[in-house]
Amino acid sequence: MASGGQRSGGGQWLRLHSPNVRICHWINVIACTYLLLSGIHIFLDFPELYWGHTGYQGYPAIFKLSDWGLSWDEAGELGNRMWGRNYHFTFAWVFMINGLVYAGWNLARGHFRRSMLPGRAELTSAHLRAELREHLRWPRRSHASTHRYGTLQKLSYLLLIFVYVPLMFLTGIAQSPGITAAAPWLLDMFGGRQTARSLHTFGTVVFVLFVVVHLLEVAAAGLVNRVRSMITGNLRVPEGEA
Amino acid sequence: MSREISRRALLGGFTGLGSLLLTGCSREMFLPPQVRGGLVGAADVLTMGANRFLQRDQPLAREYQWSDISHPFPTWAQTNPPDEEYQRLRRGNFAEWRLPITGLVARPVTLSLDDIKRLPARTQITAHVCEQGWSAIGEWTGPQLQRVLEEAGGALPAARYVVFTTYDGWYESIDMFEVAHPQTILAYRLNREELPMGNGAPLRLRVERQCGYKNVKFLKTIEVVDSVAGYGRGAGGISADYGFHWFAGV
Repeated sequence: MASGGQRSGGGQWLRLHSPNVRICHWINVIACTYLLLSGIHIFLDFPELYWGHTGYQGYPAIFKLSDWGLSWDEAGELGNRMWGRNYHFTFAWVFMINGLVYAGWNLARGHFRRSMLPGRAELTSAHLRAELREHLRWPRRSHASTHRYGTLQKLSYLLLIFVYVPLMFLTGIAQSPGITAAAPWLLDMFGGRQTARSLHTFGTVVFVLFVVVHLLEVAAAGLVNRVRSMITGNLRVPEGEA
Repeated sequence: MSREISRRALLGGFTGLGSLLLTGCSREMFLPPQVRGGLVGAADVLTMGANRFLQRDQPLAREYQWSDISHPFPTWAQTNPPDEEYQRLRRGNFAEWRLPITGLVARPVTLSLDDIKRLPARTQITAHVCEQGWSAIGEWTGPQLQRVLEEAGGALPAARYVVFTTYDGWYESIDMFEVAHPQTILAYRLNREELPMGNGAPLRLRVERQCGYKNVKFLKTIEVVDSVAGYGRGAGGISADYGFHWFAGV
């Protein structure tokens, strides 16, 4: 991931992120923001979740927003499913095309293999425990992992890209009457349209948690420096830490 | 120079691939009647194109078992149209209800409910998938729309859409690709009983591969057209005029 490094002022600049990673990252930020907001709009218009093939008002629900203090009518006032559907499907395409460009480029250049695949030594329980302990210490003592992903980071990125995103994609299209007519196995895979919808909604919560942790990590590693590196590609490394 | 050649080769490749994919299909089956602008419109085209490519062999929507049926079947939106004519027909048990089939057909015809019930019927247990997020399973019975159009001598070659108007003031359209689908029926029975008023008595459209709002209730007229421009704001349905997707496969 890191390459080169020229002297400048009171430290070194590390070439950290490739143009592909930076462009895809920010398109992804826009797409995910729209996907989240439009998804919330769609959900608010029918704020109950079910399990299996069917689910409707009056059918036993596994989650009701009204149990959490927001009545059906209040939620309906907040949600706009027309706006939600239009933008959810629009940015699903943006997300998908962007993701394919990102994944294709990085597979071709070996980015996943080189930067994200953890080595054998990294996967020992001792190493993982040590990293976790170091990770939870606050404030952070060292910037040792400035230009390399940590093992936990690698594992969470791999899970996100190769497990979470495909599952969100599949649980999303498993709700479509058009696509499931052509691919009925999607219904069997999740045990029904409503199960897919519920998993898709729980997945949204997982996504929000990921973003919260991601932003905390960025803040902990140096907010300005890290955000700048995702824009310009260069990370400033203080004297003596490179 | 070499870049120019490779770009041309690439474009040629795309065009070739495109015509390969479109072989045997009309171009229109990939596009809504009115393509919206901007990113949302581009996504509409991709969504409909991807769906129709997957559906090019007209697969059937899943059919379920009698034991899977949702009781009672939910009702939504209009459940008793205040329209005076509708109320009069309902009081007469729809004996005087008539369905005119006009437009681009060989012999425009007006059918009674009994005429429709005399046609060979299809019975299908399918999931009604509402765009709001709910879904329910019911058994629908009625003739295939294609068969109903044959009562009017069939659609003429120029036909591209079938437009439905309803007694709750709605209009909606589907294209001939959807009309040709075996599960596209006009249902007069739900779960082996007369279609209840809340579900669209006496006759409703079933388009099983599209969301609930395309499955209009309380049918009033059927017109076969080559363009939907003359209806509403021209997007092909009241929901599409408002800003919903005309193609409701997702």
